[in-house]
Amino acid sequence: MAVPKLEQLSKSVVQGPSLATGAIPTRDWMDIPVHFKEGNYAYPAKKEKVEYLDSQKGLSFPNARIWSPEDDDWKLPEDWKEIILNGLKERLGKFRSLKIFMDCCVRCGACADKCHFFLGTGDPKNMPVMRAELLRSIYRNDFTLAGKLLGRMAGAREMTVGVLKEWFMYAYQCTECRRCSVFCPYGIDTAEITIILRELLHLVGVGINWILEPVSNSNRTGNHMGLQPHTYKDNVEFLADDIENLTGVRINPPFNKKGAEVLFITPSADVFAEPGLYTAMGYLILFEAIGLDYTWSTYASEGGNFGLFTNNESMKKLNAKMYAEAKRLGVKWILGGECGHMWRVLHQYMDTMNGPADFLEVPKSPITGTVFDNTASTKMVHISEFTADLIKHGKLKLDKSRNSHVKATFHDSCNPARAMGLLDEPRYILDHVVDWVEMPENTIREQTFCCGSGTGLNTDEIMELRMRSGLPRANAVKYVHEKHDVNMLSCVCAIDRATLTSLMDYWNPGVRVCGISELVGNALVLEGETRGELDDGLRTLL
Amino acid sequence: MDLAEAFRNYKDKIVDQWVDYTLSTYQASSFFKKERDMFANPVGGNIREALKKLFSLLVKGAGTEQMIPPLEQILKIRSIQEFSPSQAVAPLNAVKHITREILAADKERRHLVSELYDFEFAVDLAILAAFDIYMQCRERLYQTRIQEIKTGTHILTDSRCPSSLQKNKVQDSIPKVESI
Repeated sequence: MAVPKLEQLSKSVVQGPSLATGAIPTRDWMDIPVHFKEGNYAYPAKKEKVEYLDSQKGLSFPNARIWSPEDDDWKLPEDWKEIILNGLKERLGKFRSLKIFMDCCVRCGACADKCHFFLGTGDPKNMPVMRAELLRSIYRNDFTLAGKLLGRMAGAREMTVGVLKEWFMYAYQCTECRRCSVFCPYGIDTAEITIILRELLHLVGVGINWILEPVSNSNRTGNHMGLQPHTYKDNVEFLADDIENLTGVRINPPFNKKGAEVLFITPSADVFAEPGLYTAMGYLILFEAIGLDYTWSTYASEGGNFGLFTNNESMKKLNAKMYAEAKRLGVKWILGGECGHMWRVLHQYMDTMNGPADFLEVPKSPITGTVFDNTASTKMVHISEFTADLIKHGKLKLDKSRNSHVKATFHDSCNPARAMGLLDEPRYILDHVVDWVEMPENTIREQTFCCGSGTGLNTDEIMELRMRSGLPRANAVKYVHEKHDVNMLSCVCAIDRATLTSLMDYWNPGVRVCGISELVGNALVLEGETRGELDDGLRTLL
Repeated sequence: MDLAEAFRNYKDKIVDQWVDYTLSTYQASSFFKKERDMFANPVGGNIREALKKLFSLLVKGAGTEQMIPPLEQILKIRSIQEFSPSQAVAPLNAVKHITREILAADKERRHLVSELYDFEFAVDLAILAAFDIYMQCRERLYQTRIQEIKTGTHILTDSRCPSSLQKNKVQDSIPKVESI
């Protein structure tokens, strides 16, 4: 048999089905249809979850049904096209930012190579500019004169079922991390394009279960997991039992305590799933050490807000719950745990949705007297700001050697970093509790790479996709793992803690993931403790 | 002029073409080829670094064991991208053809083409090892998925609250009217 020539080899490699689309990559992007197959899409929302959400006051989730992205027929409503175009029209009128983002892009390409989905897949439709173009082409066709007159020549195209399917594919290959926005000279927030695409898709009943079930659970019991008050309380108390076993100090966490000074809200994953549990143990130890007058709530039992990944009505409703609970309990201000997108909602949307929270006081640390003016409107302080302030004022007794089993690096979680500018506080804390190193400059701070599974994409059926989109982050961790023997990837986000663990299992085995508060909990010396040698900190099995 | 010297002279050219060929398998390949920062361009950076190492090993006739790290660097990426197994591995084969073409185009070194047997055999061994690594990566991917399910994060979607489960059990145990 003759040795195949290079051209023949190329034929089988280059001209085979293209990434994600299954089409031959020689046609114009508008002519390449999407191809759904097991592993490249997240499962659609369960019918009963959509029905439940649709029945709730203030929410609208029509067209509940059983369907599959792999089917030709998505069982859309008959007038689906009208619904989508009217929906777009309504949003162009309502959100001035959307109108500007549709008009002002000059397609300079500065964002093109900044997206982790693009870097991991090489699929051009994952360039942020192209992802926006999927919507912009429809906008041009139906809402601009040039598009109406010139059609495709002006980059316009008609809304078809194929376009809708393309939206579903790529709106769920964006984690709204906003790294691209950092590089956009016009400040286009591409995450908001994805937000709108997802909103429009929900109008015709196209959504994924990993998002809508947590939204439905949050609406029902107050948290993603659907934990009822007694279960939530039990879980936190189990953590207090573990702390007692490890340190000899009994902590009795307060729940739903009226008149407490501070309401503490964190993602429910922190009280339920590893490795977030250890972060929650860190919170408990910290509050005990400083004698904080605070309370957990079994109703506002979730920091995360999957409404952000759904539509603005759900986001508003889930955000309102935190403030309703703060009002009910009569607290002075809210302390927020290590959550990611909760802070995006807080900093950028809360004020116009539910704020200002006038019934609360401007947060003031009862321990140091520091007034957090930066939260004057939302009245909610980040745990890292709070902890860094305590350290700065010498209020914590820290023994760094208790983290000697850890060589850490720090992953700037997208939303706290880019949406609220929380860059230095976690680093200041790390300096005081652990030996740690930075990852390369173009992968941290404002330029941080996403974990690859945010915005409700942390579901296991798309594990391959997640490994691709997480490659840029994992690649930077690999560097410090090999060069500096880093064995712990610290972060300030619950989704990170869950998804980076899987990302490390695949790309960098031997690197574990933790929250900053876990490292604080490891190092913190409690009064009256009888802590022995814990060679794995709070994770030590006795 | 012997083959070893020809490899030394043409190393950069061969590796460049090999990298170019491998990166051409991506739709938006121009960026992957152009950007040299390893962290801004992980696919391009890792493939470039690994192929360079691999070429030196192939020329030396190194054993399969030594070739595993650079092969893993490449296959770990390609095995989770949307390639079929053969597409993921195929670009490794290209170095045989690239080397032949480059030597054949050089009048003074054309005669060395007939001496490439050992080199090409080493490439064959690398490709066989690459299939093993491809499978290991796929297995690790599935293990990662299983591990995630085991740690409880799946509870986020598949959970029912205990009282609801209890209720379902009670309902299940009530005989349906038509079956009585």
